[in-house]
Amino acid sequence: MIARRRLEVPTSQATEFVDITSRLQDEVTAAGLRNGRLHLQSLHTTLGLALNENEPLLMRDLAAVLERVAPTATGYEHDDLPRRSGIATDEPRNGHAHCRALFLPPACTVLVEDGRLVLGRWQSVFAVELDGPRSRQLALQLDGDFATLPGTGGQPSDRELVDLELAHQLLVDPVAVQEPMRRLVQAGGKRLRPLLAMLSAKLGAQGDPLRAAALAAAVELIHHATLVHDDYVDEAATRRGLPTVAAHEGATSAVAVGVYYFAKATRVIAQLGNADVTCTIADAVEAICLSQMDDVRLRGSYPGDYAMYLRVVRGKTAALFTAACRAGAQLSGAGPEVVERLTRFGELLGIAFQMSDDLLDYSERSGKPRGQDIRQRVVSLPLIYATEDATLGPRVRELLAGAVDEDRVHEVQELVLATGALERVGEEARGLVAAALHELDGVELDGVLPQLEDLAMSAVDRIA
Amino acid sequence: MSVAVDGIEADLAGLESIWDGGLGAAYAFYRRQAAPPVALAAAMVESALALQVLGGRPPDPPRLLLGDLCLARASRLLAGTRDQRLQIGFARAMEHVAAAAAGGPAAAPLRTLLVAVIAEAG
Repeated sequence: MIARRRLEVPTSQATEFVDITSRLQDEVTAAGLRNGRLHLQSLHTTLGLALNENEPLLMRDLAAVLERVAPTATGYEHDDLPRRSGIATDEPRNGHAHCRALFLPPACTVLVEDGRLVLGRWQSVFAVELDGPRSRQLALQLDGDFATLPGTGGQPSDRELVDLELAHQLLVDPVAVQEPMRRLVQAGGKRLRPLLAMLSAKLGAQGDPLRAAALAAAVELIHHATLVHDDYVDEAATRRGLPTVAAHEGATSAVAVGVYYFAKATRVIAQLGNADVTCTIADAVEAICLSQMDDVRLRGSYPGDYAMYLRVVRGKTAALFTAACRAGAQLSGAGPEVVERLTRFGELLGIAFQMSDDLLDYSERSGKPRGQDIRQRVVSLPLIYATEDATLGPRVRELLAGAVDEDRVHEVQELVLATGALERVGEEARGLVAAALHELDGVELDGVLPQLEDLAMSAVDRIA
Repeated sequence: MSVAVDGIEADLAGLESIWDGGLGAAYAFYRRQAAPPVALAAAMVESALALQVLGGRPPDPPRLLLGDLCLARASRLLAGTRDQRLQIGFARAMEHVAAAAAGGPAAAPLRTLLVAVIAEAG
C-alpha cells in the first residue's frame, strides 16, 4: 500500500529553513505507517530540502553559505526579463534562488521504524525556501507496512478511515479553530455524508481509499462548518449534548471557525485535483447557503407548506447528501450513468433524513430539547401536516401565529401527535428511502449495495 | 469596469444589495488584475469577511448568512475556472485570516493575500 499526501508549507521570508520534522511525523502517525519509508519531494524549482540541525545560529550560517554560493546582488541572465519570452508580467527576478537550488536536493527519503521517523539526535528535516515568502507544497508518499487498526481484523473500515482523516486534518490546524471543531467532530454522529462519499468512491475504476477519505473528511468539515454558523443564527446553546461554539467560545469565534473550516474543506477538495468533484461540492455549498437564507426568511410565513418545505430541505440537507454521493462517484471515475443514479439516490436519501430529523423534535432521546423547532420557527414537516388536519389544524395555526411560550410549545406538540402527522412523516421518509434504493436497481455497484442499503436505512431508523 | 460587459449579472443574483456597499468597488479593484470570474470571486470573499465582521463584533444572522453565500458563490466561481492553484490559494488566504480572527497566528490583510495569489497564479 502507498499513501499519498500533499504538505502545505507557507513561508514568510526570502530565505528560510522551515523545520517540518514534526509535521512529517504527524503524517506517518495519521497514515498508520509502522515500518517503511517516507518519500518527500519539492514541487517547486526554488524550494529545496535539507536534513540538518535545527539550531538558530546554524540557520544563519547556512543562509550565509547560500548567499555566498549565489549572491542575490550578482547579475543573472535569468533575471534579464526582456531577453526571455512567454513570461508573466510579474515574473520574479530569482536567478540566485534557482542557482542555490542546484545545491540542495529536491527530494529525499526518511526511513520509518516502529511508527517513528528514523532520525539522528540532531537531525531535523527542513523545507528550504529560496525565493519566499510563498505558499509551498511538498508531495509525500509513504510505503511499507501499515498498522492494522484495532477491531477491523484486516483493512481499516470506512468509518475508521474517515475518522483518521478527520483527526489528521484537525491535527495541523491552529489551536484556536482546531479545539472547537474537534469537540464537534468527536461528539459523534453517524458520519452518513462522509460514508456515502466513501462508498460511492468505490464504484469507479480509479477508486483510492485515501483520496476518498480526504473527500469524505472535507464533506464532514463542510457539514460541521454550516452547523457552527447555524447554531449561531439559531442561538442554540447545545448540540449533541455539548456546548455549541457560539455558546462556549463566543460568537466571534463561531463566525471565524465556520469560515476557516469552509475554506479548509474547499482547499482539501481542490487538492484532490478533480475539477468535476470541485464543481459538485461548490454547487452544493451554494445551494446550502441559499436555502439557509430561505429558511430564515420563511420563518415569517411559518409553518409554511409542503412545496416550501421541500425547497428548503433540498438545499439545507439534501444538497450535501447528493454531493457526497455524486462527488464520490466522480472521484472514482465512475461512468455517467452511475454518477447520475447516485446523485438521485443521495437527494432522496437526504430528504428522507431531514424528515426523520424533524421527528426527533418530538422525541426525548434526540439530545436536544423537545419542541426546539417550534421555538425557533424552523420549517418542519410534522407541523405542516398537522396544520392540514381538518379538525385540529386551525388550532395549530392559531398557536403558531403568535408568540410561542412554553405552554404553547407543549400544546402544539400534543396536537401534532393527535393528528397522526408523525406517522405520516415517518411513512413518507421510509417511502423515500425505498425510492432512493430503487434508483440503484440495475447499477453495477461492485459489492457495495448492502452497505449502501444499511446506510440508507440508518438515515431513518432514528424514527423508531 | 461594467457588470453587463463583463457578463457577471447572473453571478450577482441575491447579492445585488451589497454591490454598492463595497462589492462593486472591490470588484473594480481586482478587475484590474484578473479576469471577471476571478475578480468577482476575490471581491466576494472580501465582502463576505467584511459582512461577517471577521474578528470583530459578531454580525446579525442575515449578514452572516449573506456572507456565507458570498463565500459559496466565490467558491463556485473559482471551481468554474478549473484553476487548482487559484482555488487552493484563495482557500489558504481565507484560512489564514479566519484563524487569526479566532485568536490564532496573525495574518496579512486579506487583500494582500488575494492579490498575491492572483499574481502567483498568473
